[in-house]
Amino acid sequence: MSVADLAIEQRLGLGIAAVMARKGASHAAIGAVLGADLPDRAGAAFVQNRAVIGVGPGSWLAVQADAPPDFANGLATQLIGLASVSDQSSGYRVLRLSGADARTLLQRGLAIDLHPQSFGPGSTATSVIAHIGVILWQVDDRPAYDIATFSSYAASFEHWLDATIAAL
Amino acid sequence: MSRLATGGLIDRSCPLTFSFDGKLYAGFEGDTLASALVANDVRLVGRSFKYHRPRGILTAGGEEPNALVTLRSGAYAEPNTRATAVSLFDGLEAASQNRWPSLRFDLLAANQLAAPIFVAGFYYKTFMWPAKFWEKLYEPLIRRAAGLGALSMLPDPDHYDREHGFCDLLVIGGGAAGLAAALAAGRAGLRVMLVDEDARLGGRLLAERHQIDGIASALWAEQAAAELAALPNVEVLNRTTLFGIYDGREYCAVERVADHLPQAAAGQPRQRLWKIVARRAILATGAIERPLVFGGNDRPGVMTASAVSTYINRYAALPGRRAIVFAASDSGWATAADLIDAGAQVTIVDPREAAPAADTLRQRGADILMGAVVSDVSGAPVRRVTVRLADGSMRTLPADLVAMAGGWSPAIGLGSNLGAKPVWSEKINAFLLDDAPAGLAPAGAAAGHFALGDALADGAAQAAAAIADLNGKAPAPARYRTSEDRAEATPLWHVPGKRGKAFVDFQNDVTDADIALAAREGFVSIEHLKRYTTLGMATDQGKTSQLNGHALLAAATGKTIAEAGTVLSRPPYQPVAIGVLAGHHRDAHFRPERRTASHGWAAAQGASFVDAGMWKRAQWFARPGERDWLETVNREVRMTRGSVGICDVSTLGKIDILGPDAPTLLDRLYINTFSTLPIGKARYGVMLREDGFVMDDGTTTRFGQDCFFMTTTTANAARVMQHIDYARQVLWPELDVQATSVTEQWATYSVAGPNARKLLQHAFPAIDLSNEALPYMGAAKFAWEGFEARIFRVSFSGELAYEVSAPALLGDRLIRHLFEAGLSFDAVPYGTEALGVMRIEKGHPAGNELNGQTTATDLGMGRMMSAKKDYIGRAMAQRPGLADPARPALVGLKPIDRTLRIRAGAHLLAPGASAVAANDRGFVTSAAWSPTLGHAIAIALLTHGPDRYGERIIVHDPVRGGDVEAEICHPVFVDREGTRVRG
Repeated sequence: MSVADLAIEQRLGLGIAAVMARKGASHAAIGAVLGADLPDRAGAAFVQNRAVIGVGPGSWLAVQADAPPDFANGLATQLIGLASVSDQSSGYRVLRLSGADARTLLQRGLAIDLHPQSFGPGSTATSVIAHIGVILWQVDDRPAYDIATFSSYAASFEHWLDATIAAL
Repeated sequence: MSRLATGGLIDRSCPLTFSFDGKLYAGFEGDTLASALVANDVRLVGRSFKYHRPRGILTAGGEEPNALVTLRSGAYAEPNTRATAVSLFDGLEAASQNRWPSLRFDLLAANQLAAPIFVAGFYYKTFMWPAKFWEKLYEPLIRRAAGLGALSMLPDPDHYDREHGFCDLLVIGGGAAGLAAALAAGRAGLRVMLVDEDARLGGRLLAERHQIDGIASALWAEQAAAELAALPNVEVLNRTTLFGIYDGREYCAVERVADHLPQAAAGQPRQRLWKIVARRAILATGAIERPLVFGGNDRPGVMTASAVSTYINRYAALPGRRAIVFAASDSGWATAADLIDAGAQVTIVDPREAAPAADTLRQRGADILMGAVVSDVSGAPVRRVTVRLADGSMRTLPADLVAMAGGWSPAIGLGSNLGAKPVWSEKINAFLLDDAPAGLAPAGAAAGHFALGDALADGAAQAAAAIADLNGKAPAPARYRTSEDRAEATPLWHVPGKRGKAFVDFQNDVTDADIALAAREGFVSIEHLKRYTTLGMATDQGKTSQLNGHALLAAATGKTIAEAGTVLSRPPYQPVAIGVLAGHHRDAHFRPERRTASHGWAAAQGASFVDAGMWKRAQWFARPGERDWLETVNREVRMTRGSVGICDVSTLGKIDILGPDAPTLLDRLYINTFSTLPIGKARYGVMLREDGFVMDDGTTTRFGQDCFFMTTTTANAARVMQHIDYARQVLWPELDVQATSVTEQWATYSVAGPNARKLLQHAFPAIDLSNEALPYMGAAKFAWEGFEARIFRVSFSGELAYEVSAPALLGDRLIRHLFEAGLSFDAVPYGTEALGVMRIEKGHPAGNELNGQTTATDLGMGRMMSAKKDYIGRAMAQRPGLADPARPALVGLKPIDRTLRIRAGAHLLAPGASAVAANDRGFVTSAAWSPTLGHAIAIALLTHGPDRYGERIIVHDPVRGGDVEAEICHPVFVDREGTRVRG
C-alpha cells in the first residue's frame, strides 16, 4: 500500500472579505490600499500573509492570515469611496492542500486543467467539485493550493475528500 | 482441451482456475473468459434472447452479441457481461443466462415451436384481444419472459470515481493506426492521451501474424507501448472504453480499474469515469468484421474469421479441428493459414472466382472451393455444413467450426454521436464517417484503410495533421515497412435458398425473413426497419448486424445501400454501469448537504431534520415520552408562546446591498419604499417578478447610508441573488451599487415569546434592549466575544421576538449561550414545524402562498404597492387578470366541527355546489392544528374571500376524502391587534 504525498490543513484564524469596486473607482487605487497588484482576471496576487483573489469583474476576495476580528470593517474604512466590503470570514472554509498528490486529488474533482502548462502559482479557478462550489488558487509549485468552499458544505466536501484520498 | 502447446500471448507461468456454470476450468493470465472457454472446448455459452437457441462465442472482441454471461455472484453479480471482454482472473465465477433449468436443456427453447408467431412486430399483432386481458394477463406474462440477464437487487457494494483529462491530442484506440498516431504526437511533444479498451495495446497486431519493420507485429506493439509509457507527455489508459463524444470537444470514457482483479483494493474504485477535453482527437477504433447471412449461421461453432485467428494467435486456443472458412474477403484466407498452421483441417469456400492465396494454401493441404457459398449449417454445436458449388450442385461436409469472413465495417459509431450521418463508400462497400465533429478525424481501418501498411501510414498522417494544426508545423510522418496484408473483399449480403434460419442480429434474434417481412408490411425506411424488427437495438447496438440488415432492406425495396442509408449509433458505445456515472453521489450523498452552525448541537438535542432545499433544518425536538411529532410540535408552540422559544433561522437568504445607489436599487426591487428607511431600522418588503407575480418577501435593514442588509426566504435565496445581479448588471448598470450573498457568514437565531427580552438581556447585559432603546423593527450591532454581532427586533411568530446574529464560526457558541441564558425561562428549542404552526396562526404568507401564481393583492399586501415609484413588476401587475377583484385572496378557515381537520390542497366549494371544476372557488394553501386555539385552522385563497368573513364554505378533498364545512374568517388567528409583538 502506498502512502500519498499529500498534506491537508484547515486554515484557521483567517480574515476573509469580499471587495467590490465602486463605479469609476480605479483598480490601481484599490490595489494600493490592499497592498497588491490586483488581478484583472481570474488570478491571485500574494503579498505577505494576504492573498487577493479575482472572482469576477471588479470583485475580489481578500484572504488574510492571522487577521483581527474587525478585519473586514477595517478594510471597509480604508476603502471608503473606492470599494464596498462584506465580511466573509465565517462564510468560507479554506483548506490548504500540498504535495505531489495534491494535484491528482484536485484534478479528480475539478473539470479545469491543473497541468503546470495551464495552471501555476497565482492561477485561480471558480468552479465546482462534487456539486459544491469552490474557489481554488495555487499558492506555490510544491504544488500547494488553497480551496475555499461555503462553510455549510463542510461535511459533504469532507466526504468527497475522504473517498478520493482513499483512491490515490 | 484445445489449448495449443506453444505460442500465444498468454503467460503460461501463471495458471488460473475459474468456474462457468458451476464447473471448474483452467486458464492462464492473459486469457479472456472467452478464450479460456474456447481452450476448454466449451462450445455452448448461452441461449438467445427470443428463441432460446443455443449459442456459442461469435467473436473475440467488444462487438460480441452472444456470449453474455453473469459475472461474479451476490451483490457483485453483473449480468450481460461479454465473455470476450472479461480478463480472466483466479477464482472468476461466471454463469450463462436466459436458460432454465440449464444451458444444455432449456425448457424455454419451446419458444422456437411458436417461432412463426414470434416474427418481427408480433407484439403489435398478437395479445391484442380480448383487450381487457392485456393489463392483467398478457403484459405480466410477456414481462416475465422478457429481459436478458437478472439483477441481484442488492445495493452495489463497489464504489466509483471520476477523473478529468486534458490533452492536445486524444487517440481513441491503441491498434496499428492509434499507436502510429500516438508515437508521432508523443515524440513531437504534444500532450497525448491514448485510450484503449483492451488489457494491452496493439489491437489486431496481437491477433494477426504480421511483420512491422522486420519484427513480429505483437512485439512491435509491445515496444511501442513501452516507448509511450516512458514519454512524460503521454498518458496511456488501458482497459478504458471511450463511450461517448459530446459537445465542446468533451470525450467520456470508463476506466475499468479493478474489474480484472478478484476484488478492488481497499479504497480503490471499481471503475472510474473520465471526462476528457481534447483540442484534437483521432478515432482509431478499427473495423468490425461482418458475419455472413446463411442458414444456421448462429450455431455454436460459427465464428467470425478474425475471431478464429485471434483465438489461435493471441490465446493459443484452437476453436475447431475441422474448419470451413467461408471467405468473401481476403482476410479470411489469412485465417485459413492460421488454422492450417495450428493443425486443423481446412476447407475454404469463397464466392469469388479467384483468390491470390489459393495456390499457396492448396499446396499446404487446404481444400478450396471457389465460386461457392455455404448455404446451411446444422448441429449445436456445428456438425455438418452444406455448400452450394459453382456449378449449382450441393455438397455436405463434416465440420466442427465455420469461420465467416464477410468483409469489414469501419467502427465509426462514436463519430456519429453529435449527429454526423455516415456516407456509403463504393470502394470499401461500407459506411464511412464524413463531416466528423470539430477536432475529430478517423484514421486507419476506421477510415477504411484496412491493409496494415495503409493503417499505420494513415495514423501517422492524421497525427501529423493534428501536430501541424496545433504547433504550426509537423515533422515528416514516420514510414513503416510491413508484410503483405491483402484486404480486398466482395460483399455477399445474403445466401439465398437455404433451409435453416439465417440470422442478421444475433442478440435480438432478428432473421433475414424478419427484414423481408418488415419491407412487405411497409416499414421501408431504415429507421422504421430498426424499430419494427429491433435490428441493432440490443446492447451491442448492432455492431455485427447493422450493415447486413441494411443491405437486405435495400435489396427488398429495390434501392442501393447508399439510398437506403443507415442509422446513427448513440452513446454509450458500450454498456456503462449507472454506478460509474453516479460516482460518489449515491444514497445519502446523492447531492451535497448544507448544515447550519447549530447542526451538531441540534443533533445532540435529539432533533429530527428535514430537507429545505439543500439544507438540513431541525424540524422538531422530540422529548422522551412524546407519542408523536404532533405532541412535540404542540409543546414547542405552547412553550414558545407561553415563555420563550429559540429557532435556527440561519438558512434564510442574506444579502449585503452596498453603495451610494443601494437605496435606489431597493426601491426598484421592492413594491414598497426603502430609500426612506432610517438607519437602525428594518422593514418588511415584497418583491415581484417582472410579470407582476410575487417572487419573494423578507426584511431589509439599514445599517448605514450606503449599507443595507436584506433577508429572503430559504427557498428563494439563490433566485433573489440572481435577480439582484441581473438588475445591477443588465437592467441598470449605471447604478453604483454592489451586492453579495452573506447567507453563510451569519448564524441567526430567532428568540420569541413573552420572555424573549428578558432572556436576551440576561445573555447580553451590555446592550439596552428596552422597548424605547430597541423598538419593534429596530436593529443594532453590538460586540460579542470580540466579534461584531447583530440584533433585529422582527417577528414571524407574532410573539415579542428578536433575531440574533453572530459570525457562523461562533454560531455553535451562540446557541449554547442563548440556552444557558434561557435556563431560568424554560427556553425551548423549536423547529420548522412549530415555526410553521405559529406563522399560520398569524396568517403570514410563506412558501405555500408565495407559489409564483399569487399577486401582492391576493396575499393582502396590495396597499404596500407604492404609487409613487416604479419597481419591477409594477406594470405587469396592473394587467386585468392580475388586478381582477374576483381573484382568490387570502382568508382564514376554521372547521365548524372543531374536532375535524382541514387539509392543505383541498378545494373550496359553495355549500350545495356539485364538486366539479366549474364550481371551484379556491383552495387551502396552509393548514395546521393550532395548540393556541385548540382546533385545526387553515389559510386559503378564496374568490372574494376578504368580503366573506362569517360565511360558510365546503372544504372538498377529492384525493384524501372527507369534506369539511368551514367558517371563513380573518387569516390572523392569534393577537389580531399585534400587541405582543410591540410589547
